[in-house]
Amino acid sequence: MAVRLKQLERLLYRLVTAPSGVGEGLAAESGLPAGGLDAIVRGDDRLSAEQRVDIYANMYFYRLLDVLKEDFPATLSVLGEDEFHNLATGYLLEYPPTEPSVLFCGRHLSDFLREHALKKDAPYIADLAALERAMVEVFHGPDAPVLEADQLRAISAEKWPRLRLRTHPALQILKLKWRVVELLRAVEERHEWKPAEAGVVEVIVWRRSARVFYRELEKAEERAIAAANEGARFAKICDLVAADRDATRDPVAELNRLLARWLGDGILVEASRKGQKPNP
Amino acid sequence: MKRADFPSLGFGVGLRRPHYKRIVETHPKIDWFEVISENFMVEGGHALEVLEAVREHYPIAMHGVSMSIGSADPLNRSYLRQLRDLARRFEPAWISDHLCWTGVGGRNLHDLLPLPYTEEAIHHVAARIRRVQETLERPMLIENVSSYIAFVDSTMTEWEFISAIAEEADCGILLDINNIFVSAFNHRFDANDYIDSVPVERVVQYHLAGHSDHGTYLLDTHDHPIREEVWALYERAARRFGEVATLVEWDDNIPEFAVLAEASERARGIFNKVTIEHGSRSRDGGSPEATGTPALSASHRA
Repeated sequence: MAVRLKQLERLLYRLVTAPSGVGEGLAAESGLPAGGLDAIVRGDDRLSAEQRVDIYANMYFYRLLDVLKEDFPATLSVLGEDEFHNLATGYLLEYPPTEPSVLFCGRHLSDFLREHALKKDAPYIADLAALERAMVEVFHGPDAPVLEADQLRAISAEKWPRLRLRTHPALQILKLKWRVVELLRAVEERHEWKPAEAGVVEVIVWRRSARVFYRELEKAEERAIAAANEGARFAKICDLVAADRDATRDPVAELNRLLARWLGDGILVEASRKGQKPNP
Repeated sequence: MKRADFPSLGFGVGLRRPHYKRIVETHPKIDWFEVISENFMVEGGHALEVLEAVREHYPIAMHGVSMSIGSADPLNRSYLRQLRDLARRFEPAWISDHLCWTGVGGRNLHDLLPLPYTEEAIHHVAARIRRVQETLERPMLIENVSSYIAFVDSTMTEWEFISAIAEEADCGILLDINNIFVSAFNHRFDANDYIDSVPVERVVQYHLAGHSDHGTYLLDTHDHPIREEVWALYERAARRFGEVATLVEWDDNIPEFAVLAEASERARGIFNKVTIEHGSRSRDGGSPEATGTPALSASHRA
Protein backbone atom coordinates (compact mmCIF):
# COMPACT_ATOMS: atom_id res chain seq x y z
CA MET A 1 0.00 0.00 0.00
CA ALA A 2 2.68 2.46 1.04
CA VAL A 3 4.52 2.04 -2.27
CA ARG A 4 1.40 2.52 -4.37
CA LEU A 5 0.21 5.41 -2.20
CA LYS A 6 3.62 7.06 -2.45
CA GLN A 7 3.55 6.79 -6.23
CA LEU A 8 0.03 8.21 -6.35
CA GLU A 9 0.86 11.09 -4.02
CA ARG A 10 4.07 11.93 -5.85
CA LEU A 11 2.27 11.91 -9.18
CA LEU A 12 -0.42 14.25 -7.87
CA TYR A 13 2.24 16.47 -6.27
CA ARG A 14 4.02 16.82 -9.62
CA LEU A 15 0.78 17.58 -11.43
CA VAL A 16 -0.43 20.11 -8.86
CA THR A 17 2.89 21.97 -8.83
CA ALA A 18 3.58 21.91 -12.58
CA PRO A 19 4.22 25.59 -13.38
CA SER A 20 2.05 25.75 -16.51
CA GLY A 21 -0.75 23.54 -15.27
CA VAL A 22 -1.78 19.92 -15.03
CA GLY A 23 -1.83 19.44 -18.80
CA GLU A 24 1.84 20.31 -19.05
CA GLY A 25 2.55 18.08 -16.06
CA LEU A 26 0.78 15.13 -17.69
CA ALA A 27 2.74 15.60 -20.91
CA ALA A 28 5.96 15.22 -18.92
CA GLU A 29 4.86 11.97 -17.22
CA SER A 30 6.21 8.72 -18.60
CA GLY A 31 4.83 6.06 -16.26
CA LEU A 32 1.09 6.58 -16.42
CA PRO A 33 -1.13 3.51 -16.84
CA ALA A 34 -3.08 2.85 -20.02
CA GLY A 35 -5.89 5.39 -19.99
CA GLY A 36 -3.63 8.00 -18.41
CA LEU A 37 -4.98 10.13 -15.60
CA ASP A 38 -8.50 8.88 -16.34
CA ALA A 39 -7.41 5.46 -15.08
CA ILE A 40 -6.51 7.02 -11.72
CA VAL A 41 -8.93 9.92 -11.11
CA ARG A 42 -12.63 9.80 -11.96
CA GLY A 43 -13.93 12.42 -14.36
CA ASP A 44 -17.50 13.01 -15.39
CA ASP A 45 -19.66 15.06 -17.74
CA ARG A 46 -19.07 18.19 -15.62
CA LEU A 47 -15.33 18.00 -15.07
CA SER A 48 -12.67 15.75 -16.53
CA ALA A 49 -10.03 14.14 -14.35
CA GLU A 50 -7.52 16.76 -15.51
CA GLN A 51 -9.87 19.62 -14.69
CA ARG A 52 -10.43 18.20 -11.22
CA VAL A 53 -6.72 17.99 -10.47
CA ASP A 54 -6.40 21.51 -11.89
CA ILE A 55 -8.64 22.76 -9.06
CA TYR A 56 -5.93 21.72 -6.61
CA ALA A 57 -3.23 23.19 -8.83
CA ASN A 58 -4.94 26.59 -8.85
CA MET A 59 -5.55 26.49 -5.12
CA TYR A 60 -1.91 25.59 -4.45
CA PHE A 61 -0.49 28.49 -6.40
CA TYR A 62 -3.01 31.19 -5.53
CA ARG A 63 -3.05 30.35 -1.82
CA LEU A 64 0.73 30.73 -1.63
CA LEU A 65 0.65 33.80 -3.87
CA ASP A 66 -1.76 35.40 -1.40
CA VAL A 67 0.58 34.57 1.48
CA LEU A 68 3.54 36.11 -0.34
CA LYS A 69 1.54 39.23 -1.21
CA GLU A 70 0.57 39.65 2.43
CA ASP A 71 4.14 39.18 3.68
CA PHE A 72 5.80 41.35 0.99
CA PRO A 73 3.48 44.30 0.26
CA ALA A 74 6.30 46.71 -0.61
CA THR A 75 7.99 44.23 -2.92
CA LEU A 76 4.60 43.80 -4.57
CA SER A 77 4.20 47.58 -4.92
CA VAL A 78 7.60 47.92 -6.56
CA LEU A 79 7.16 45.02 -8.97
CA GLY A 80 3.46 45.29 -9.71
CA GLU A 81 0.94 42.45 -9.85
CA ASP A 82 2.13 40.78 -13.05
CA GLU A 83 5.83 40.71 -12.20
CA PHE A 84 5.09 39.59 -8.65
CA HIS A 85 2.94 36.77 -9.99
CA ASN A 86 5.79 35.67 -12.25
CA LEU A 87 8.25 36.04 -9.39
CA ALA A 88 6.09 33.80 -7.20
CA THR A 89 5.87 31.17 -9.94
CA GLY A 90 9.64 30.95 -10.21
CA TYR A 91 10.19 31.21 -6.48
CA LEU A 92 7.85 28.33 -5.65
CA LEU A 93 9.60 26.14 -8.22
CA GLU A 94 12.98 26.90 -6.67
CA TYR A 95 11.77 26.91 -3.04
CA PRO A 96 8.63 24.77 -2.69
CA PRO A 97 7.17 24.87 0.83
CA THR A 98 8.55 22.27 3.20
CA GLU A 99 7.26 23.41 6.59
CA PRO A 100 3.90 22.73 8.27
CA SER A 101 3.13 26.46 8.51
CA VAL A 102 2.72 28.96 5.66
CA LEU A 103 4.63 31.41 7.87
CA PHE A 104 7.79 29.96 6.34
CA CYS A 105 6.64 30.24 2.73
CA GLY A 106 8.55 33.45 1.97
CA ARG A 107 11.69 32.88 3.97
CA HIS A 108 13.93 32.45 0.91
CA LEU A 109 12.41 35.17 -1.29
CA SER A 110 15.21 37.64 -0.59
CA ASP A 111 17.86 35.07 -1.51
CA PHE A 112 15.94 34.23 -4.68
CA LEU A 113 15.82 37.90 -5.64
CA ARG A 114 19.58 38.37 -5.19
CA GLU A 115 20.21 36.40 -8.40
CA HIS A 116 17.06 37.41 -10.22
CA ALA A 117 16.77 39.38 -13.46
CA LEU A 118 14.36 41.76 -11.70
CA LYS A 119 17.38 43.36 -10.03
CA LYS A 120 18.22 45.07 -13.29
CA ASP A 121 15.38 47.54 -12.92
CA ALA A 122 15.11 47.43 -9.12
CA PRO A 123 18.59 46.66 -7.76
CA TYR A 124 17.36 47.21 -4.19
CA ILE A 125 14.58 44.62 -4.42
CA ALA A 126 16.39 41.82 -2.55
CA ASP A 127 17.18 44.12 0.39
CA LEU A 128 13.58 45.31 0.46
CA ALA A 129 12.34 41.71 0.60
CA ALA A 130 14.88 40.94 3.34
CA LEU A 131 13.50 43.77 5.48
CA GLU A 132 9.92 42.65 4.93
CA ARG A 133 10.82 39.05 5.79
CA ALA A 134 12.58 40.17 8.95
CA MET A 135 9.38 41.89 10.04
CA VAL A 136 7.46 38.61 9.78
CA GLU A 137 10.11 36.73 11.74
CA VAL A 138 10.38 39.39 14.43
CA PHE A 139 6.60 39.45 14.88
CA HIS A 140 6.66 35.77 15.77
CA GLY A 141 10.03 35.79 17.51
CA PRO A 142 10.70 34.75 21.11
CA ASP A 143 9.43 36.74 24.07
CA ALA A 144 11.39 38.40 26.86
CA PRO A 145 10.58 41.17 29.36
CA VAL A 146 11.81 44.53 28.12
CA LEU A 147 14.30 46.45 30.26
CA GLU A 148 12.64 49.67 31.42
CA ALA A 149 14.38 52.88 32.44
CA ASP A 150 13.25 52.72 36.06
CA GLN A 151 14.68 49.20 36.38
CA LEU A 152 18.05 50.47 35.23
CA ARG A 153 17.86 53.47 37.58
CA ALA A 154 17.20 51.08 40.49
CA ILE A 155 20.64 49.49 39.97
CA SER A 156 23.36 51.24 41.96
CA ALA A 157 25.87 53.24 39.89
CA GLU A 158 28.91 51.21 40.93
CA LYS A 159 27.36 48.09 39.40
CA TRP A 160 26.74 49.63 36.00
CA PRO A 161 30.16 49.05 34.39
CA ARG A 162 29.85 45.28 34.83
CA LEU A 163 26.14 45.19 34.01
CA ARG A 164 25.42 43.14 30.88
CA LEU A 165 23.04 44.70 28.37
CA ARG A 166 21.35 42.38 25.94
CA THR A 167 19.06 43.06 22.99
CA HIS A 168 15.61 41.50 22.80
CA PRO A 169 15.83 37.91 21.47
CA ALA A 170 13.36 38.68 18.66
CA LEU A 171 15.43 41.65 17.42
CA GLN A 172 17.20 41.33 14.09
CA ILE A 173 20.06 43.40 12.65
CA LEU A 174 20.16 43.54 8.86
CA LYS A 175 23.25 44.60 6.96
CA LEU A 176 21.97 46.07 3.71
CA LYS A 177 23.44 47.78 0.66
CA TRP A 178 20.36 49.79 -0.20
CA ARG A 179 18.47 52.28 1.92
CA VAL A 180 15.07 50.60 1.70
CA VAL A 181 13.62 51.84 5.03
CA GLU A 182 12.08 54.97 3.49
CA LEU A 183 10.59 53.01 0.61
CA LEU A 184 8.96 50.53 2.99
CA ARG A 185 7.66 53.31 5.18
CA ALA A 186 6.15 55.09 2.19
CA VAL A 187 4.32 51.93 1.09
CA GLU A 188 3.03 51.30 4.62
CA GLU A 189 1.77 54.89 4.91
CA ARG A 190 0.29 54.74 1.40
CA HIS A 191 2.48 57.58 0.16
CA GLU A 192 4.18 57.76 -3.19
CA TRP A 193 7.45 55.85 -2.91
CA LYS A 194 10.79 56.55 -4.54
CA PRO A 195 13.37 53.94 -5.54
CA ALA A 196 15.85 53.23 -2.74
CA GLU A 197 19.28 54.83 -2.93
CA ALA A 198 22.47 52.83 -2.72
CA GLY A 199 24.17 52.98 0.65
CA VAL A 200 25.60 50.50 3.13
CA VAL A 201 23.38 50.65 6.19
CA GLU A 202 22.41 48.55 9.18
CA VAL A 203 18.74 48.29 10.05
CA ILE A 204 17.29 46.98 13.28
CA VAL A 205 13.88 45.32 13.34
CA TRP A 206 12.27 44.76 16.70
CA ARG A 207 8.95 44.16 18.36
CA ARG A 208 7.23 46.02 21.18
CA SER A 209 3.80 44.79 22.32
CA ALA A 210 2.04 43.67 19.15
CA ARG A 211 3.85 46.01 16.76
CA VAL A 212 7.02 45.61 14.73
CA PHE A 213 9.33 48.60 14.27
CA TYR A 214 12.38 49.21 12.10
CA ARG A 215 14.93 51.95 11.58
CA GLU A 216 18.41 52.56 10.32
CA LEU A 217 21.09 52.43 12.97
CA GLU A 218 23.18 55.53 13.50
CA LYS A 219 26.91 55.00 12.90
CA ALA A 220 27.45 55.77 16.61
CA GLU A 221 25.34 52.82 17.70
CA GLU A 222 26.12 50.08 15.17
CA ARG A 223 28.95 48.43 17.11
CA ALA A 224 27.25 49.09 20.44
CA ILE A 225 24.04 47.34 19.36
CA ALA A 226 26.05 44.46 17.88
CA ALA A 227 27.84 44.12 21.22
CA ALA A 228 24.54 44.21 23.14
CA ASN A 229 23.28 41.54 20.78
CA GLU A 230 26.01 39.34 22.26
CA GLY A 231 25.35 40.45 25.84
CA ALA A 232 28.25 42.84 26.34
CA ARG A 233 29.05 44.68 29.57
CA PHE A 234 27.88 48.26 29.87
CA ALA A 235 31.47 49.50 30.12
CA LYS A 236 32.30 48.06 26.70
CA ILE A 237 29.16 49.58 25.18
CA CYS A 238 30.21 52.96 26.58
CA ASP A 239 33.64 52.57 25.01
CA LEU A 240 32.13 51.71 21.63
CA VAL A 241 29.77 54.69 21.68
CA ALA A 242 32.59 56.99 22.68
CA ALA A 243 34.78 55.67 19.87
CA ASP A 244 32.09 55.78 17.17
CA ARG A 245 30.28 59.02 18.04
CA ASP A 246 30.39 62.17 16.00
CA ALA A 247 33.53 63.87 17.27
CA THR A 248 31.61 67.08 17.93
CA ARG A 249 29.38 65.37 20.47
CA ASP A 250 30.14 64.92 24.14
CA PRO A 251 30.59 61.17 24.84
CA VAL A 252 28.50 61.15 28.02
CA ALA A 253 25.67 63.09 26.45
CA GLU A 254 25.82 60.83 23.41
CA LEU A 255 25.63 57.70 25.54
CA ASN A 256 22.72 59.12 27.52
CA ARG A 257 20.91 59.97 24.31
CA LEU A 258 21.39 56.54 22.79
CA LEU A 259 20.58 54.70 26.01
CA ALA A 260 17.36 56.70 26.33
CA ARG A 261 16.55 55.82 22.72
CA TRP A 262 17.20 52.10 23.25
CA LEU A 263 15.14 52.00 26.43
CA GLY A 264 12.36 54.01 24.80
CA ASP A 265 12.35 51.72 21.77
CA GLY A 266 12.22 48.69 24.10
CA ILE A 267 15.08 46.86 22.42
CA LEU A 268 16.95 45.86 25.59
CA VAL A 269 16.00 43.08 27.96
CA GLU A 270 16.86 42.35 31.56
CA ALA A 271 20.53 41.49 31.62
CA SER A 272 20.01 38.31 33.64
CA ARG A 273 17.76 36.67 31.05
CA LYS A 274 19.32 34.98 28.04
CA GLY A 275 16.24 34.38 25.89
CA GLN A 276 16.59 32.83 22.49
CA LYS A 277 18.18 34.48 19.46
CA PRO A 278 16.35 34.29 16.15
CA ASN A 279 18.02 32.33 13.35
CA PRO A 280 19.96 34.66 11.03
CA MET B 1 -12.67 6.13 22.96
CA LYS B 2 -16.24 7.17 23.64
CA ARG B 3 -17.87 10.46 22.82
CA ALA B 4 -18.77 10.86 26.48
CA ASP B 5 -15.02 10.94 27.27
CA PHE B 6 -14.89 14.44 25.73
CA PRO B 7 -16.28 17.56 27.41
CA SER B 8 -19.45 19.13 26.07
CA LEU B 9 -18.30 22.46 24.66
CA GLY B 10 -21.51 23.85 23.15
CA PHE B 11 -21.43 26.34 20.27
CA GLY B 12 -18.26 28.15 19.25
CA VAL B 13 -16.41 29.97 16.49
CA GLY B 14 -12.92 29.93 15.02
CA LEU B 15 -10.42 32.29 16.65
CA ARG B 16 -9.17 34.58 13.85
CA ARG B 17 -6.81 37.56 13.84
CA PRO B 18 -9.35 40.29 12.89
CA HIS B 19 -11.31 39.44 16.04
CA TYR B 20 -8.41 39.15 18.52
CA LYS B 21 -8.79 42.62 20.02
CA ARG B 22 -12.54 42.39 20.36
CA ILE B 23 -12.41 38.97 22.02
CA VAL B 24 -9.60 39.80 24.46
CA GLU B 25 -11.12 43.13 25.46
CA THR B 26 -14.82 42.32 25.62
CA HIS B 27 -15.04 38.55 26.34
CA PRO B 28 -18.03 38.03 24.06
CA LYS B 29 -20.70 35.51 24.89
CA ILE B 30 -19.50 32.42 23.04
CA ASP B 31 -19.05 28.92 24.42
CA TRP B 32 -15.63 28.08 23.00
CA PHE B 33 -13.02 28.75 20.34
CA GLU B 34 -11.15 26.59 17.88
CA VAL B 35 -7.63 27.61 16.92
CA ILE B 36 -5.50 26.60 13.94
CA SER B 37 -2.61 24.81 15.65
CA GLU B 38 0.07 25.83 13.14
CA ASN B 39 -0.65 29.54 13.67
CA PHE B 40 0.51 29.15 17.27
CA MET B 41 3.57 27.00 16.66
CA VAL B 42 5.76 30.08 16.88
CA GLU B 43 8.49 31.13 19.29
CA GLY B 44 6.59 34.02 20.82
CA GLY B 45 4.74 37.20 20.02
CA HIS B 46 1.22 38.50 19.85
CA ALA B 47 -0.54 35.34 18.71
CA LEU B 48 0.51 33.40 21.78
CA GLU B 49 -0.32 36.34 24.06
CA VAL B 50 -3.81 36.38 22.61
CA LEU B 51 -4.22 32.64 23.02
CA GLU B 52 -3.15 32.90 26.66
CA ALA B 53 -5.73 35.59 27.23
CA VAL B 54 -8.47 33.67 25.42
CA ARG B 55 -7.68 30.46 27.27
CA GLU B 56 -8.12 32.23 30.61
CA HIS B 57 -11.79 32.66 29.81
CA TYR B 58 -12.79 30.02 27.27
CA PRO B 59 -12.23 26.37 26.46
CA ILE B 60 -10.48 25.76 23.16
CA ALA B 61 -9.84 22.99 20.69
CA MET B 62 -6.74 22.80 18.52
CA HIS B 63 -7.36 22.11 14.83
CA GLY B 64 -4.44 21.39 12.53
CA VAL B 65 -3.95 21.53 8.78
CA SER B 66 -0.53 19.94 8.27
CA MET B 67 -0.50 16.61 10.11
CA SER B 68 -0.84 14.93 6.70
CA ILE B 69 -2.10 11.75 8.32
CA GLY B 70 -2.63 10.08 4.95
CA SER B 71 0.82 10.77 3.53
CA ALA B 72 3.20 8.05 2.46
CA ASP B 73 5.98 10.08 4.14
CA PRO B 74 6.97 9.09 7.68
CA LEU B 75 5.15 11.03 10.38
CA ASN B 76 6.77 14.40 11.08
CA ARG B 77 8.01 13.80 14.62
CA SER B 78 9.19 17.35 15.13
CA TYR B 79 5.76 18.67 14.20
CA LEU B 80 4.02 16.19 16.51
CA ARG B 81 6.27 17.17 19.41
CA GLN B 82 5.51 20.84 18.83
CA LEU B 83 1.81 20.02 18.70
CA ARG B 84 2.05 18.00 21.89
CA ASP B 85 3.94 20.80 23.67
CA LEU B 86 1.40 23.38 22.51
CA ALA B 87 -1.37 21.14 23.89
CA ARG B 88 0.43 20.72 27.19
CA ARG B 89 0.64 24.50 27.50
CA PHE B 90 -2.92 25.39 26.48
CA GLU B 91 -4.89 22.27 27.50
CA PRO B 92 -7.31 22.07 24.58
CA ALA B 93 -10.45 19.98 24.96
CA TRP B 94 -9.18 17.97 21.97
CA ILE B 95 -6.87 18.02 18.99
CA SER B 96 -8.09 17.45 15.44
CA ASP B 97 -6.77 17.38 11.89
CA HIS B 98 -7.97 16.28 8.49
CA LEU B 99 -8.34 12.88 6.90
CA CYS B 100 -6.08 13.74 3.97
CA TRP B 101 -2.50 14.14 2.86
CA THR B 102 -0.91 17.57 2.48
CA GLY B 103 2.44 16.71 0.98
CA VAL B 104 4.98 14.05 0.14
CA GLY B 105 8.74 13.90 -0.26
CA GLY B 106 9.17 16.45 2.53
CA ARG B 107 7.18 19.10 0.65
CA ASN B 108 3.92 20.69 1.68
CA LEU B 109 1.14 21.65 -0.72
CA HIS B 110 -0.69 23.49 2.07
CA ASP B 111 -3.87 21.85 0.86
CA LEU B 112 -5.96 18.88 1.89
CA LEU B 113 -5.90 16.11 -0.70
CA PRO B 114 -8.08 13.04 -0.39
CA LEU B 115 -7.04 9.41 -0.31
CA PRO B 116 -8.38 6.47 -2.27
CA TYR B 117 -11.03 4.73 -0.18
CA THR B 118 -9.51 1.28 0.08
CA GLU B 119 -8.87 -1.31 2.77
CA GLU B 120 -5.15 -0.72 2.45
CA ALA B 121 -5.57 3.02 3.00
CA ILE B 122 -7.70 2.35 6.08
CA HIS B 123 -4.97 0.26 7.68
CA HIS B 124 -2.23 2.73 6.65
CA VAL B 125 -4.02 5.75 8.09
CA ALA B 126 -5.33 3.99 11.22
CA ALA B 127 -1.84 2.82 12.13
CA ARG B 128 -0.52 6.36 11.80
CA ILE B 129 -3.37 7.78 13.89
CA ARG B 130 -2.62 5.32 16.65
CA ARG B 131 1.02 6.44 16.70
CA VAL B 132 -0.02 10.07 16.68
CA GLN B 133 -2.36 9.50 19.61
CA GLU B 134 0.48 7.91 21.55
CA THR B 135 2.68 10.95 20.91
CA LEU B 136 -0.07 13.41 21.74
CA GLU B 137 -1.03 11.39 24.82
CA ARG B 138 -4.71 11.61 23.95
CA PRO B 139 -7.22 10.51 21.31
CA MET B 140 -7.59 12.85 18.36
CA LEU B 141 -10.41 13.69 15.93
CA ILE B 142 -10.18 13.29 12.15
CA GLU B 143 -12.17 15.58 9.91
CA ASN B 144 -13.75 14.74 6.55
CA VAL B 145 -12.44 17.11 3.86
CA SER B 146 -14.09 18.73 0.88
CA SER B 147 -12.70 17.03 -2.20
CA TYR B 148 -12.60 17.65 -5.94
CA ILE B 149 -11.09 14.34 -7.04
CA ALA B 150 -12.21 10.79 -6.43
CA PHE B 151 -10.13 7.75 -7.26
CA VAL B 152 -10.92 4.94 -9.66
CA ASP B 153 -9.40 2.46 -7.18
CA SER B 154 -11.81 3.35 -4.35
CA THR B 155 -13.82 0.32 -3.22
CA MET B 156 -16.15 1.98 -0.73
CA THR B 157 -17.91 5.23 0.06
CA GLU B 158 -16.24 8.07 1.90
CA TRP B 159 -18.44 7.56 4.94
CA GLU B 160 -17.56 3.89 5.08
CA PHE B 161 -13.90 4.88 4.79
CA ILE B 162 -13.86 7.43 7.62
CA SER B 163 -16.01 5.21 9.84
CA ALA B 164 -13.67 2.24 9.40
CA ILE B 165 -10.61 4.37 10.15
CA ALA B 166 -12.19 5.82 13.27
CA GLU B 167 -13.01 2.31 14.52
CA GLU B 168 -9.61 0.82 13.72
CA ALA B 169 -7.69 3.79 15.15
CA ASP B 170 -10.14 4.28 18.04
CA CYS B 171 -10.28 8.00 17.36
CA GLY B 172 -13.08 10.53 17.14
CA ILE B 173 -14.63 12.21 14.11
CA LEU B 174 -14.98 15.92 13.44
CA LEU B 175 -17.93 15.91 11.05
CA ASP B 176 -17.75 18.89 8.73
CA ILE B 177 -21.30 19.37 7.53
CA ASN B 178 -20.30 21.89 4.83
CA ASN B 179 -17.62 19.53 3.52
CA ILE B 180 -20.21 16.76 3.23
CA PHE B 181 -22.43 19.10 1.20
CA VAL B 182 -19.56 20.24 -1.02
CA SER B 183 -18.23 16.73 -1.65
CA ALA B 184 -21.74 15.39 -2.25
CA PHE B 185 -22.21 17.95 -5.03
CA ASN B 186 -18.75 17.40 -6.48
CA HIS B 187 -19.02 13.61 -6.53
CA ARG B 188 -22.78 13.21 -6.89
CA PHE B 189 -23.65 11.30 -3.75
CA ASP B 190 -26.51 11.89 -1.33
CA ALA B 191 -25.30 13.95 1.63
CA ASN B 192 -28.08 12.47 3.76
CA ASP B 193 -26.52 9.03 3.37
CA TYR B 194 -23.29 10.39 4.87
CA ILE B 195 -25.10 11.89 7.87
CA ASP B 196 -27.12 8.72 8.38
CA SER B 197 -24.16 6.33 8.25
CA VAL B 198 -21.30 7.70 10.37
CA PRO B 199 -21.17 6.03 13.81
CA VAL B 200 -22.92 8.20 16.39
CA GLU B 201 -20.54 7.40 19.21
CA ARG B 202 -17.51 8.63 17.22
CA VAL B 203 -18.72 12.12 16.30
CA VAL B 204 -17.38 14.63 18.83
CA GLN B 205 -17.60 17.89 16.89
CA TYR B 206 -19.16 19.55 13.86
CA HIS B 207 -17.85 22.24 11.56
CA LEU B 208 -20.20 24.62 9.79
CA ALA B 209 -18.90 26.95 7.09
CA GLY B 210 -19.63 28.62 3.78
CA HIS B 211 -18.32 27.75 0.33
CA SER B 212 -18.24 29.26 -3.14
CA ASP B 213 -20.20 28.02 -6.15
CA HIS B 214 -18.27 27.63 -9.39
CA GLY B 215 -21.08 26.07 -11.36
CA THR B 216 -19.54 22.71 -12.15
CA TYR B 217 -18.11 22.37 -8.65
CA LEU B 218 -18.33 23.84 -5.18
CA LEU B 219 -15.12 25.08 -3.53
CA ASP B 220 -14.58 24.96 0.22
CA THR B 221 -13.47 28.55 0.68
CA HIS B 222 -14.88 29.41 4.14
CA ASP B 223 -15.66 32.89 2.90
CA HIS B 224 -19.44 32.95 2.58
CA PRO B 225 -22.39 32.58 4.91
CA ILE B 226 -23.55 29.04 5.60
CA ARG B 227 -26.03 28.00 2.94
CA GLU B 228 -29.57 26.97 3.88
CA GLU B 229 -29.00 23.47 2.51
CA VAL B 230 -26.06 23.09 4.91
CA TRP B 231 -28.22 24.28 7.80
CA ALA B 232 -30.78 21.62 6.81
CA LEU B 233 -28.06 18.95 6.87
CA TYR B 234 -26.97 20.23 10.26
CA GLU B 235 -30.49 19.84 11.58
CA ARG B 236 -30.56 16.29 10.22
CA ALA B 237 -27.28 15.60 12.03
CA ALA B 238 -28.57 17.18 15.25
CA ARG B 239 -31.56 14.84 15.17
CA ARG B 240 -29.35 11.78 14.76
CA PHE B 241 -26.33 12.64 16.91
CA GLY B 242 -27.84 14.64 19.74
CA GLU B 243 -25.50 16.98 21.63
CA VAL B 244 -22.28 17.51 19.69
CA ALA B 245 -19.94 20.52 19.96
CA THR B 246 -20.52 22.84 17.01
CA LEU B 247 -18.00 25.26 15.52
CA VAL B 248 -18.61 27.96 12.91
CA GLU B 249 -15.61 28.51 10.63
CA TRP B 250 -14.90 31.61 8.54
CA ASP B 251 -11.39 32.02 7.19
CA ASP B 252 -11.51 34.56 4.36
CA ASN B 253 -13.36 37.83 3.79
CA ILE B 254 -13.92 37.56 7.52
CA PRO B 255 -16.93 39.62 8.68
CA GLU B 256 -17.54 41.29 12.03
CA PHE B 257 -17.44 38.95 15.00
CA ALA B 258 -21.18 39.40 15.54
CA VAL B 259 -21.88 37.62 12.24
CA LEU B 260 -20.05 34.50 13.40
CA ALA B 261 -21.62 34.69 16.83
CA GLU B 262 -25.03 34.92 15.22
CA ALA B 263 -24.35 31.79 13.15
CA SER B 264 -23.24 30.00 16.29
CA GLU B 265 -26.48 31.01 18.01
CA ARG B 266 -28.50 29.82 15.04
CA ALA B 267 -26.83 26.42 15.45
CA ARG B 268 -27.79 26.47 19.13
CA GLY B 269 -31.35 27.34 18.19
CA ILE B 270 -31.56 24.39 15.82
CA PHE B 271 -30.18 22.04 18.45
CA ASN B 272 -32.61 23.33 21.08
CA LYS B 273 -35.53 22.97 18.67
CA VAL B 274 -34.57 19.41 17.81
CA THR B 275 -34.08 18.56 21.48
CA ILE B 276 -37.51 19.89 22.41
CA GLU B 277 -39.17 18.08 19.51
CA HIS B 278 -37.55 14.75 20.28
CA GLY B 279 -37.05 14.94 24.01
CA SER B 280 -33.76 15.39 25.84
CA ARG B 281 -31.02 13.14 24.51
CA SER B 282 -27.52 13.77 25.76
CA ARG B 283 -24.30 12.29 24.57
CA ASP B 284 -24.40 9.42 27.01
CA GLY B 285 -28.15 8.82 26.92
CA GLY B 286 -28.89 10.59 30.21
CA SER B 287 -30.04 14.14 30.91
CA PRO B 288 -28.33 16.89 28.94
CA GLU B 289 -25.11 17.92 30.68
CA ALA B 290 -24.59 21.53 31.67
CA THR B 291 -21.90 23.13 29.57
CA GLY B 292 -19.18 25.02 31.33
CA THR B 293 -15.58 26.10 31.02
CA PRO B 294 -13.29 23.25 31.98
CA ALA B 295 -11.04 24.50 34.77
CA LEU B 296 -7.47 25.23 33.74
CA SER B 297 -4.85 23.36 35.67
CA ALA B 298 -2.38 25.53 37.55
CA SER B 299 0.44 24.26 35.33
CA HIS B 300 -1.09 25.23 31.97
CA ARG B 301 1.22 28.21 31.44
CA ALA B 302 4.60 27.69 29.85
